Amino acid sequence: MKYKPCGTFDQTYEQDNALVRTRFRWAMLSALLVFIFVLFPCLAGDYLLDVAINIGITIIAVIGLQIIVGFTGQISLGHAAFMAVGAYVSAMLSFHLNWSFWIAFPVAALTSGLMGLLVSIPALRIRGFYIAVTTLVAHYIIMWSILHGGWVTGGLTGMSSHEVTIGGFSIGTERRYYFLTMVLTAAAIFLTVNLTRTKIGRAFVAVRDNDLAAEFMGINVFKTKVLAFFLSSVYAGVAGSLLAHYQGIITVEQFTLMDSIWMLGMIIIGGHSVLGAIMGVCFLKVLQQIILIVAPTIGQLVPSLAGSAVAGSMQLFFGAVIILFLVFEPRGLSHRWRLTWSIFDLWPFPY
Amino acid sequence: MTFFIQLVINGILTGGMYALMALAVVIVYKSSSVFNFAHGSLVALVSFVFWQLMVPWQMPIWLTLPLLIVFIAIVSILIQRLILQPLTGQSLMSAIMATIALGEVFNGAVVLFWPGPGRLLPKFVTSTTHRLGAVHLSSESLVSFLVCAVCFIVFLIFFHRTKFGLAMRGTAEDHTLAQSEGIRVSRVFVVSWFVAIAIAGVGGVLMGSLFGLSFEPLHGLGMKALAVVILGGLESILGALIGGIAIGVAEALASGFVDPLVGGGASDIVPYIVLLVALIFKPYGLFGYERIERV
Repeated sequence: MKYKPCGTFDQTYEQDNALVRTRFRWAMLSALLVFIFVLFPCLAGDYLLDVAINIGITIIAVIGLQIIVGFTGQISLGHAAFMAVGAYVSAMLSFHLNWSFWIAFPVAALTSGLMGLLVSIPALRIRGFYIAVTTLVAHYIIMWSILHGGWVTGGLTGMSSHEVTIGGFSIGTERRYYFLTMVLTAAAIFLTVNLTRTKIGRAFVAVRDNDLAAEFMGINVFKTKVLAFFLSSVYAGVAGSLLAHYQGIITVEQFTLMDSIWMLGMIIIGGHSVLGAIMGVCFLKVLQQIILIVAPTIGQLVPSLAGSAVAGSMQLFFGAVIILFLVFEPRGLSHRWRLTWSIFDLWPFPY
Repeated sequence: MTFFIQLVINGILTGGMYALMALAVVIVYKSSSVFNFAHGSLVALVSFVFWQLMVPWQMPIWLTLPLLIVFIAIVSILIQRLILQPLTGQSLMSAIMATIALGEVFNGAVVLFWPGPGRLLPKFVTSTTHRLGAVHLSSESLVSFLVCAVCFIVFLIFFHRTKFGLAMRGTAEDHTLAQSEGIRVSRVFVVSWFVAIAIAGVGGVLMGSLFGLSFEPLHGLGMKALAVVILGGLESILGALIGGIAIGVAEALASGFVDPLVGGGASDIVPYIVLLVALIFKPYGLFGYERIERV
């Protein structure tokens, strides 16, 4: 449901199709872009920039997951493993072969995408719950292979990668990497929003709503599902590659089943849209930061819990928040956001 | 050849445990069509609560067990009333995420309250090794297999010979039909959760007394049960039994024959490879029902 502000009428096809329709929305968007690309990097310190980079990378990954979960209606429990594929391929090309980021990055994204394609092939015969289980199995197998990969993947010690450079200009600091991440995040958001309006995007939604009905309407369900998994894994690979080159070293501990579940949780909290993915990521990442600040205080008050306060309460709150959203607001924050905006848009003549 | 037989027997003994864990997941799935991703967390939670009562609080066993039963009853009522009842009729995604999130809450509680390295439960059996021909059997794994078998049989008798078991079977067939026959479906759900959590506790305590309590292996035990259930078929108790033993044997054989080739760790991954093959060739499990849908 997309409301236009009261009294705004579309007179041309372009106006009807516009993503950003009114001047006020253009102003809001510009203000947001100015804040993200000018104001925030000028004012924020390294810690805040680090948090922002993590949010940006996670947004790319979660938007990818949203293509499977929100649009195509399948469930993937292996998204962190696809991220790991991207991260490791990127780091291995950088470490073993000395490839630059700009070549390793697309190769990593593509490899991750092909891995997703491979995993989704059983989707020809199975659906729903069983696809979720297939991705869970894929997670275990991928992570096991990385862990037992010997010198190729670095095993337990992990894999290091080189700094990103553009023609001799190094992007090593937080501030410079922040711009790289944000540009890619913005591109991912823009591409995905437009993807939902293409034939492919509508095929995804048709498969989500009822795959048998979609098949009768001439959509190749198998191809659509495989394509969704491919695209989603490409996003995961992009995010993984970015993460690998940002941190300089990656280990298997950064891509656990927990991380996949966190990403699914972000989608539950945000809702099933691109906006929902962004809101869910921001909500959970901010919650994470709050717990990082508050939990040590709990540890001081109850000394017996000090050692585990952060890790334990993080999981506890995460689970509780998801259950609360499932029970009380299953359509997520983005739905609530749209409801709130529609009040302003329809004012003063609600119809 | 002896080595092979030894591995198969070890596998069957571990497989008994997997089968029991899988039974717990099947019970919940049969009655309420909720696939319990939180099973691993429940195994950890109940066994750590048991440890808390037994070891730091020094309670005798005749007091510990009733307290534990009360705890399990409260947890199962809360799960049903607060989480699953409001989610009735929601999408598959909600049901899956609800149990996963529930698992996270329990994981968080376990990590928060019982941090650090493993804990020891009092051993219920003195460890000796019996010889049967050329095959060695440790008394601990033998006893734990027997306990699992007894639990399995007791549940089957309860399920097939009592009136409440009949109500549970009726609910498994069709919720609306069961309700029209005067069965309180929500109560059946609570009881099946209770049985499932109690079984999780049995598995956790057995494993804890064998290897010591620590979060990862307990959680892993529950997660392997998921692989077993999907291999055997979601609704099938026989499938849980056969799947459990099959996965136990596959794991033991992998640890005996594949581990030396790849340098260890093969037994962690073999259940999932078996599962992947099963998903490709027999997606609804060995004994599951194939769903036929109409638009």
